[in-house]
Amino acid sequence: MIRPEHRRLRRNEPLQDRYIQLFNLFCFMRADPFIAELRDRGLLTTEQATAITADERTRPFSLHYEIRTLLYLGITLLSGGLGVLIYEHLDQIGHGVVVAVVALLMTACFAYAARHRQSFSWTLVPGSSLLADYLLLLGCLLFLVLEGYLQAQYELFGTRYGLALALPAVLFFLLAYRFDHRGVLSMAITALAAWVGLNTQPLAVFENNFLTGSVSRAAIALGALLLLVGWLSETRHRKAHFAYTYILLGGNLLLGAATAALFNEVLNPKALLVLLILAVSAGLFWYGRRAHSHLFLLLGAAYGYVAFTYGLGWLLSEFGLDVVFSLGLYYFVASTAAAVWFLTHLKRLAGTDAHEQGL
Amino acid sequence: MNKAYNPAWARHEALQTAAQNWHRRGLLPLPQLQAIRAAYPLIYYRPNIYLQILLFLLTMLGYMAVLGLIFLFTAGLFESTFNWSAPIMIGLAALLAALAGQFALQQLISSSRTYRAGSDQALLYLSLGFAALAWQAFVDAALPNVLDFLLLDSPYLALWLLPVLALLLWATARFGDALLAVLAYVAVMALLANGLLQFGAGRLPLPFAIMALAVGLYQLIRYLAARTNYWYYHACFITLEVLSLATFYLGGNYLIVREGNAAISGLPVSGQIPFAPVFYLLTVLVPLFYLYQGLRRPSRVWLLTGLATLAFSGYTLRFYHSVLPPAVASALLGAFLIGLIAAALRYLRTPQHGLTAAPDNESGERPGLNLEALIVAQTAHAPQSPEPGFQFGGGQSGGGGAEGQW
Repeated sequence: MIRPEHRRLRRNEPLQDRYIQLFNLFCFMRADPFIAELRDRGLLTTEQATAITADERTRPFSLHYEIRTLLYLGITLLSGGLGVLIYEHLDQIGHGVVVAVVALLMTACFAYAARHRQSFSWTLVPGSSLLADYLLLLGCLLFLVLEGYLQAQYELFGTRYGLALALPAVLFFLLAYRFDHRGVLSMAITALAAWVGLNTQPLAVFENNFLTGSVSRAAIALGALLLLVGWLSETRHRKAHFAYTYILLGGNLLLGAATAALFNEVLNPKALLVLLILAVSAGLFWYGRRAHSHLFLLLGAAYGYVAFTYGLGWLLSEFGLDVVFSLGLYYFVASTAAAVWFLTHLKRLAGTDAHEQGL
Repeated sequence: MNKAYNPAWARHEALQTAAQNWHRRGLLPLPQLQAIRAAYPLIYYRPNIYLQILLFLLTMLGYMAVLGLIFLFTAGLFESTFNWSAPIMIGLAALLAALAGQFALQQLISSSRTYRAGSDQALLYLSLGFAALAWQAFVDAALPNVLDFLLLDSPYLALWLLPVLALLLWATARFGDALLAVLAYVAVMALLANGLLQFGAGRLPLPFAIMALAVGLYQLIRYLAARTNYWYYHACFITLEVLSLATFYLGGNYLIVREGNAAISGLPVSGQIPFAPVFYLLTVLVPLFYLYQGLRRPSRVWLLTGLATLAFSGYTLRFYHSVLPPAVASALLGAFLIGLIAAALRYLRTPQHGLTAAPDNESGERPGLNLEALIVAQTAHAPQSPEPGFQFGGGQSGGGGAEGQW
């Protein structure tokens, strides 16, 4: 059983952000007794107590996340339904209506988004309209539906498949930067990867057919490019808030591809591949500390651990298999201990301590 | 009731959260926030979520490993000394394991001040599980001729379930753990169903009894929330509130009643049920009532339960009647949702009836946008053109949770 360190108990740690968010969502605060108690102890002035009580009474209830979720559900259902419908009844009269509806809807979505656009800026643009954001996303989805249909039915791009895939990528990148939209940006990255012939969905990087060396090389190159772009956007202050999406999708693609290539033995030399994974993992880890993000720390640690273990096993197997098996148990115990240490110090590593103090 | 954890911890936690919120809304300057933090310190141990999960798993592993080792060494000795039957042996071993777990838990809490840190929860759940197992073994030993007393319609179920329920209630009161509260409620429901199923006609009022039980639970929560240490049990209260709303709905849901009825009777295909119009009506009206209440109170528990139950009502409808082809239904529903939300956004441009569309903390970066971009990357892509000869049947609409089922 793991005993927590006692010295940490005495430190007065603030609550974790995630905990507070969850708490706020579901606990209606019964704050009145708290306010009275704090006022009586002299921790709040009377004016503050009055102001806080008034705020607790009159503050409206936020439906923000419900609205976002339902809107997203709505646009996926609509574009998904139309996307299937457009291929059905291909030879019937009502068919043209569906195509026209998709085209009209797409135009309307883009027009609405354009009408509600903010002026362009290289920084985060605040105050964009919620509905316009989602209609832009719907417009992009319908564009994909329409383009796929036109290519399948009329071979609009002939056999230049590259063009058919590059067009949405270019369009989406332009839209993402113009309208300052992270969702469209990730669609653009997905489209770009499709142009290269890859799948960048975060949970699907391993479903790519990495079995050939050229696909693996392409994935690693694209991942590296995305990492570079993300890094440049952050340091050059060109849409610095896009860096998260670039670096997460790029890093995941590169590390996933390299790890799969390592295990399927399609790329050589192996030592170089292990070193590459370790270097990029270390980079992600370092970036996670810089950006105070637990996710990057965890990703870097996980991929780094896999590559390190693989490299170690590979090195040791050069000395004969016996050593590997006898050391395996100790290695497991040691890595569990390391994992506990890592997770215990996660907050300090990410530097979120000071962040959560509100400093 | 003596509590396992210091009740001040829960209260300090809630108070600090409230103070943090005031600070975020600009009602409380930072030095004062820090003074409040110093006056109400959080001196318990609770690590981040990843470490909690790891501690939970490791403690379970350690507990089982230690027990397994002890059992290996002592089992032979016991068998040669005492000549007891197998169930009694198992029951005794499980009982000892449960007591040892409770003792270790007590030591852990008093020495390390863990408060829902993963390790204490692992010990709690496992030791209670062993206690239930021990009682099951004893009942088994006492009723050697009854093989299946754990079935829902067995007349002997209460013999096992009642002591387990008592144990769960004791543990809930002592530890304030939400999962235990849920299990206790499930046990009460099972007892109710078991009691009604002893009579031939008991199947008929069962849905109404479940609904009445849910109402009773809701009243009980409101009674207890006002009269106990609210903050110590607040996780239990919220979970049970969701559960009471959910069971009230499911008790009256047509699909659940019809299929449950068939399952209890052992019919291969479910048939029409008595009082069908009542259940149709309940299936439609209860979610709408929840949504209305959720917006009127306003309460997120009611609102989200209302949305979930509404989705399940849609599923119920599609389960028995294919109203429209999946693709058409999906497109129409999507268009309806977008239109509805657009109207709501227009209506809520300025806050109305205490509701707003703006996020709770308006300053700077809205949390969740990065996460949303990832969800878009994972789910948003157009359906590919079908291969020649491919039949569209499922209405895959590419993510979104309820695709094509409406």
